[in-house]
Amino acid sequence: MIADWRNWRSASAWAARFVGWAVETEGSSRSSALIRIGLAMLFWSRWAGELLLYMDRSPAGLFLAANFFVATALLFIGYHSRAAAVWAGAVGLAMYYYFGFQLGREPWTHHHTYLLAVAALLIALTPCGRSYSLDRYLAVMHAERMGGPPPAERGNLWGLRLIVVQLSVLYFFAAFDKSNHAFLSGARLEQIFLWYYAGSDYPAGLAWPATMASVAVVALEYCLALGLPFRRSRRFLVVPGLAFHAILYLTLPVYTFSATMALLYLAYFDTDAVDEVIARLHGTGPAPTARGEVS
Amino acid sequence: MADIVSIGTGAESAWRLSAGRLRLIAFTALAAFMIAGPVAEQIFGVRTALLRSWTMFSAIGLGVIDASFEIRRPDGALVPLDRFEMLGAPRNGGLKWIQSREDLASVIKRLCAVAGQGADIRVRARLGIRGGWQTIHTDDQNACAD
Repeated sequence: MIADWRNWRSASAWAARFVGWAVETEGSSRSSALIRIGLAMLFWSRWAGELLLYMDRSPAGLFLAANFFVATALLFIGYHSRAAAVWAGAVGLAMYYYFGFQLGREPWTHHHTYLLAVAALLIALTPCGRSYSLDRYLAVMHAERMGGPPPAERGNLWGLRLIVVQLSVLYFFAAFDKSNHAFLSGARLEQIFLWYYAGSDYPAGLAWPATMASVAVVALEYCLALGLPFRRSRRFLVVPGLAFHAILYLTLPVYTFSATMALLYLAYFDTDAVDEVIARLHGTGPAPTARGEVS
Repeated sequence: MADIVSIGTGAESAWRLSAGRLRLIAFTALAAFMIAGPVAEQIFGVRTALLRSWTMFSAIGLGVIDASFEIRRPDGALVPLDRFEMLGAPRNGGLKWIQSREDLASVIKRLCAVAGQGADIRVRARLGIRGGWQTIHTDDQNACAD
């Protein structure tokens, strides 16, 4: 009975900690703002060339292009930032579901397009406009006119927590999908290597490296899924994770996927710690938004 | 949870309580949606465009053919056969990727034709499938005798 009571209290305390982490944490808005700006640039990097006004002059094409460029420009400069993030994310989802799946633009149905769209929607749940934005500039000007202090660059971080959940789900199920004999034996990596590089000629000496790389990829993805959210394990995983995405970017046509993942890694870090790094980079000492340990 | 259970007094506290609870409900719903996609496809086998399963590059490489060729010399020894050299084809041209079983049969036929009557060419080939490699041609018989 006492043991049950202790277990219940322990579970209850754990749940309270999780809820606190998930939806109650407040912190610096600069990480969110950096992700917002990076996402706008990744949207352009992936699609701007395909959406130039002469590319598709149908009404739907022009409507899409107009929405895309206005929404992403607002996202980049940070004017009505959160609404711009919703708008850009909705444009991304329209491209993924309607233009991709319904109208058959197959490259727009890939996972990197979905990740970009979802990331924009999730960043809308953060205080992404309170730093490095036109919104911030206007707010500071307004405060000066009123004779008050500039508004704090802080806010609730639950959108960043959802990005963490999304990345962990992505890594976990990417690894789960590969947890079978065909992949772990190296056969699937061999096939991918032949598909992109070797053609129908199996290179001598490929078998062992393929097997080892396959096991390493699956193990790393499970570690990234379960380890990146925690500070103790994160310090050992960030560099391997970034290196993994760099290798993917150099060897496979992953488009913006690697860069998006690297950018979203910012969500893992304590926002006030990121602030301190920014302050150090600027040579200005501890940033004014930092208020001790948050997560 | 903390701001949900530590209820203050007044309208502002009530609003904050409500906002915190709504945020928790939304967080749970969105997290559940994120998990539902891969669980639906990878565990329950339900494929739908509405949900993302994160099965990345799972179809790339399927159908690829790994083929190797040997030719018997007059002294009876089997030696590797370079199909590009024998057919006078560029190494980065269409012959680099043998696309299908029919394509493989066509390559074998062309090699046998160039090698001449009575040639003994052995072919080992396997096809990339989701479960690994599937042998589609063995070298236990002269491919030119088919």
